[in-house]
Amino acid sequence: MIGITGYSVYIPRYRIQRDTIATAWGARSKPGAKIVCSFDEDSLTMAETAAWRLTAHRHQPDRLYFASTSSPFWQRSAASQIAAACDFSNSVATMDFGGSLRSGASALLAAFDSLKAQTAGSAIVVASDKRDGAPESQEELSFSDAACAIALGTENVIAEIVAVHSRSDDFMDEWRRDRDWFVQGQASKYSLARGYEDNVSAARRAVLERAGVSASDVATAKAPATLGDAGTATPLIALAHALANAQPGDLILCIAYGDGADALLLRVIQPGPPAEAPQAILDYPSYALYRKSREFLREASGGAEISNVLWKREERQNIRLHGSKCNICGTVQFPMTRVCVACRSSEKITEVALGRTGRVFTFTKDYLYDGPMQPTVMTVVDLDGGGRFLCQMADVHEREVRIGMPVELVLRRMREGAQTHHYYWKCRPAS
Amino acid sequence: MKDQVAIIGVGCTKFGDQFDQSYEDLVVDAAHAAFADAGIQADRIDAAWLGTYSPFGGYGKASVSLADSLRLYGKPITRVENFCATGTDAFRNAAMGVASGMYDVALVLGAEKLKNRPGRGLSQEGEHPYQTDGLTAPGIFAMAANRYFHDFNVGRDALAKVAVKNHKNGSQNAKAHFQMEVSEEQCLKAPIVAWPFGLFDCCPTTDGAAAAIICRADMAKQFRDDYVLVKGLGLAVTSGRPWYDPNYEYVGFEATQHASKAAYKMAGVQDPVKEIDLAEVHDCFTWTEISNYEDLGFCKKGEGAHFIGEGRSALGGDMPVNTSGGLKSFGHPIGASGVRMIYEVVTQLRGQAGQRQIKSPELGLVHNLGGPGAVACVVVLGTP
Repeated sequence: MIGITGYSVYIPRYRIQRDTIATAWGARSKPGAKIVCSFDEDSLTMAETAAWRLTAHRHQPDRLYFASTSSPFWQRSAASQIAAACDFSNSVATMDFGGSLRSGASALLAAFDSLKAQTAGSAIVVASDKRDGAPESQEELSFSDAACAIALGTENVIAEIVAVHSRSDDFMDEWRRDRDWFVQGQASKYSLARGYEDNVSAARRAVLERAGVSASDVATAKAPATLGDAGTATPLIALAHALANAQPGDLILCIAYGDGADALLLRVIQPGPPAEAPQAILDYPSYALYRKSREFLREASGGAEISNVLWKREERQNIRLHGSKCNICGTVQFPMTRVCVACRSSEKITEVALGRTGRVFTFTKDYLYDGPMQPTVMTVVDLDGGGRFLCQMADVHEREVRIGMPVELVLRRMREGAQTHHYYWKCRPAS
Repeated sequence: MKDQVAIIGVGCTKFGDQFDQSYEDLVVDAAHAAFADAGIQADRIDAAWLGTYSPFGGYGKASVSLADSLRLYGKPITRVENFCATGTDAFRNAAMGVASGMYDVALVLGAEKLKNRPGRGLSQEGEHPYQTDGLTAPGIFAMAANRYFHDFNVGRDALAKVAVKNHKNGSQNAKAHFQMEVSEEQCLKAPIVAWPFGLFDCCPTTDGAAAAIICRADMAKQFRDDYVLVKGLGLAVTSGRPWYDPNYEYVGFEATQHASKAAYKMAGVQDPVKEIDLAEVHDCFTWTEISNYEDLGFCKKGEGAHFIGEGRSALGGDMPVNTSGGLKSFGHPIGASGVRMIYEVVTQLRGQAGQRQIKSPELGLVHNLGGPGAVACVVVLGTP
């Protein structure tokens, strides 16, 4: 039986009230809050966190598929970077999907095909988008940022994939040229009817027909209304929520729209875990700060040069988060070392994977550092399983920071480099 | 090596935002003042040590910044850089050069021109491109202060007392960067730089240079009667990345503990508070001075706040600390600071400190601390 074996929804902690945006533009009041990622997040980092939570700590799938319309790289595989940060070996097959808003579902279909063809035994599909609507546009209010990872396999299946269908339709609804920062679109009643409704109903009809099931027997997966439009992540998040709330035997239909439509019909085998863990929310107090958080990484320049020599030599340490263990005194330490920091022995030093949770040993809240959001919280973290780590703290109000607080390490974008994005680890309050 | 090297001349520029002075100006002013003080000409120098963190723009990192400024060509000159302990380490190396018998008379000069741009802070040259992203000098010491506050139940009011004392001393020193007194309330209400440090908990970014002329002790009388002897020297280096050491308690600096032990041993000091009459210590941040009291053995770990609270380190206390105003008020041009501290202790030992002169001192201590508390250098100086 081939099906979904796990899922993990990543919702950023930050919100901006739609009213705050509307007020900034002198527009009419709008209800609700929009989910937005922090200045140091992008589709790659959100996807990494979602995938990591799903991999049961370095349990490696055969395939890792990344889908996004907002990959931080035109050329350089985000999937490969996520695989490294999840500490997967080079034997994982990584592929990047993009182009369409349904690319997350398309990646699921592709993974399903490879499991069916037995070219892979397991796969993780992670769909992630950081979406920017043009200032003062409707999209600025409706777009949101999120990621969802879904695991496919043949054991401990939560929901079996019964049938799939994919259709192509080159319909100009939303698009973004290679030179556009913001999504272009021709939203209208016509686009809704001829684009969305026509494609979605055709895909629904086809997948039901293929499975020999009538429409009244299935429930269509819907994302929570609070999610907003999280692009490629939305259909996968909808599916995760549907599985979390389903009973064994339920039929669930997941449809993704964009330049056609993809449909998956699933039969629930066993109840799934909750889709999201509750978390504390941080509100952007002003539109100006929110805009700053979106612009910062684009405007920042003059960052450190990164040599691929250094990047590759230190990948196991800086990206895979490996440290050293002295097998004479037992001390786990970072960075990787030749000589033990505690007993100075160099006889029995071995490489170890570090824990990615821990507690704050000490900290400061630094207003001098030229960070995009003041203050920059710097922490020294004692990692669970040993080792001490220095990093910034993300996703926190400075009032929350305490010695002893539990944290988790997350991959984040650091100051922009001269030629590439830099990714490194920060901690954030444990979720 | 005790009593084998003598200081026969010292010089120091005005410290501050010396926007109209170049690196060369600072070097020349400090060196010429020291030559005049020793009653010698530049050609009397057999060797020189230059302590500088960021050298003369465009002239490379070597010793030529000193050679070209003074036109001191054809002599052995060594550049020393050891974080903020640069000045005292240059002095230590020069003292060893003279004590070895290789040179009779040597120049030690510490100089830093940080204000070639109006901003503050230091460049991060040579750092890992992103591992330490977010760290600043105040942030590094603030992380230690927060842990110290947590472990010993100390608060920001103790920090303010250090600032008030050092500003008071600096207000009586014409060469200090700041000549103004501050109140505890002012310190506590100042904008936060890196919690728990506010503006008045941080030393400024300063231009300045200081110089000392040293010679073999048995020659000192040829130059002057009130020379000062090198009694003890100690240097110790610990980790430049203490944040990665899982056993580091983060409440003080072992480098200072090791360096002071070595210097006390050489000088024969058993009880520093009783035997030493004044100390110039590295108060890059107010909390650093509190930790220094403990690490230098003036009091036990965790008792530094009482030491300042009871007024023991004030000008009239039993262990006056930073009579000059310290880095806090006198300013901190990295490589110059250690030599400037030697200048202050020599001035005090000679009885020439004017308003801030303490009563007939015989033994003084200089303490420099560099990086994240990783490099400490301690010098004990005394009257013959």
